[in-house]
Amino acid sequence: MFAVTRDFAPPFRLIAPYFVTGVILYLVSAVFALGFDVSELGFMDPTVIGWVHLYLLGFVMMVIFGAMAQLVPVVLETGHFAVDLYYIIGPMLFIGTLMMALGFALWPMMLPFGGLIVLSAMLIFVFDVFMTIRKIGEKLNFAMRSVVVSNTFLFFGVLLGIVLALGYAGIIGIDIAALLKAHVFLVVVGYIVVTIIGLSMVLIPMFGLSHDFSWKPVERSLVAVSAGVVAVVLGALSDSGWLSWTGYGLWLAAMVLYGYEVIMLYRTRARKEHDIYARSLYIAYGSMALALLTGVVYLFSGSDAAILAAGWLAFTGFFGFLITGHLYKIVPFLVWFERFSPLVGKQKVPMLADMVPQRSADFQLCFTAAGVFVGAAGLLLGSSEIFKAGASFLAAGGLFLIHSMLFMMRYK
Amino acid sequence: MVTEEQIYDAISTVIDPEVGFNLVEMGLIYGVEIGEDGNVMVTMTLSTKACPLHQMIVQWVKEACEKVEGVNNCEVNVVWEPAWNITMAADNVKKALGG
Repeated sequence: MFAVTRDFAPPFRLIAPYFVTGVILYLVSAVFALGFDVSELGFMDPTVIGWVHLYLLGFVMMVIFGAMAQLVPVVLETGHFAVDLYYIIGPMLFIGTLMMALGFALWPMMLPFGGLIVLSAMLIFVFDVFMTIRKIGEKLNFAMRSVVVSNTFLFFGVLLGIVLALGYAGIIGIDIAALLKAHVFLVVVGYIVVTIIGLSMVLIPMFGLSHDFSWKPVERSLVAVSAGVVAVVLGALSDSGWLSWTGYGLWLAAMVLYGYEVIMLYRTRARKEHDIYARSLYIAYGSMALALLTGVVYLFSGSDAAILAAGWLAFTGFFGFLITGHLYKIVPFLVWFERFSPLVGKQKVPMLADMVPQRSADFQLCFTAAGVFVGAAGLLLGSSEIFKAGASFLAAGGLFLIHSMLFMMRYK
Repeated sequence: MVTEEQIYDAISTVIDPEVGFNLVEMGLIYGVEIGEDGNVMVTMTLSTKACPLHQMIVQWVKEACEKVEGVNNCEVNVVWEPAWNITMAADNVKKALGG
């Protein structure tokens, strides 16, 4: 029998800075994107890579790490090996991310130093996760297996990342294009996507009250995406075209299987409200489908516009809306757990839905969705004006996101 | 002598903060046994195994039952079979969650 006791649950003051830092860097990355000249943009452009690191490390990973401080006990059904490590992981990730973004955009010599700090933060995170996994005596369930797989990919991904940082800074000579592809697949697909696949199978049925669905599609998806990442990485490092294409095929099949699983969760859910959580998920998975479509176009056409649009849709649409949607569930819960749960039975306490600022959340969703789709259109059409309109919407959405977060955190 | 109705009424004061309904109307309470010595056994489930409030909800149920006059002690047994589904909930819950 398992329960997240107060001993297992980390204090809110430990997790809150991850979410606050994450949404602030989300806004900063949206403002950063306003500086892109789309007509001359390529996916290997240092400013693009700088933006990708700012967004993925500063927002996506920052929020995932904060959420994992809370979710590791839920998913792994045991307390952290050393939850206090999260007090140093966040600040290190923040400083390292800023140094890396500046390194890519302005001063390349900062890259290895920023990269080393980010690497250290991630290794500490992976260390805690694996030491926590060691405490589990029983057979690993699906979510646990996904945590093992994703963190293994993260470990190798950050090692390649530091090699890349040294290469970018001119300290060592490497094949940057090959290593970059391997690094991207290990971290973005191997860690972020696998983490999403694993955690979503805990969180979406929990919030949607989905029951009686088959696990087979998502189990096959985990196998396919893992094999796909390995194939692409080996293909990139060995310059083998057929291995890479096998990897792309497996990855695409994995995403289709995962998409099918999500549709089953949707169909078997008991909660059919179209609240901010549900609407965020609709946009997230819609963006995922569009990102896959544009990604396939890139594979067959080699068009830079297609890969940039695919990345934009995946990062700001799929990852972004999945994260913001879950923030509207996780943050009220954490605040409620800390502030109101001791008062249950003694005085009237709010429901979690009462703690979400509906209008602010609606504005956040509308502006951000406009930002995702207008920005993607700008990238596909090669129009800086349209893209900048999209980035402006994204920044406006970021302001409403910060407002919503502060409202939920200060709820009394 | 404590009655089942009193126990169910007491548990009805325990509300799941996520969905906003009490545990009885959610259909999470599978049974109540009342001993002559005032000891109560509540058999219940949760809507998901991953529920992060698991232990707190169990504690709230125990405390609510032990407030009933005549109850000496309450134990809560959480079971996962049969697994909860929405058909176990009261009509007002089904209607509200149905969107």
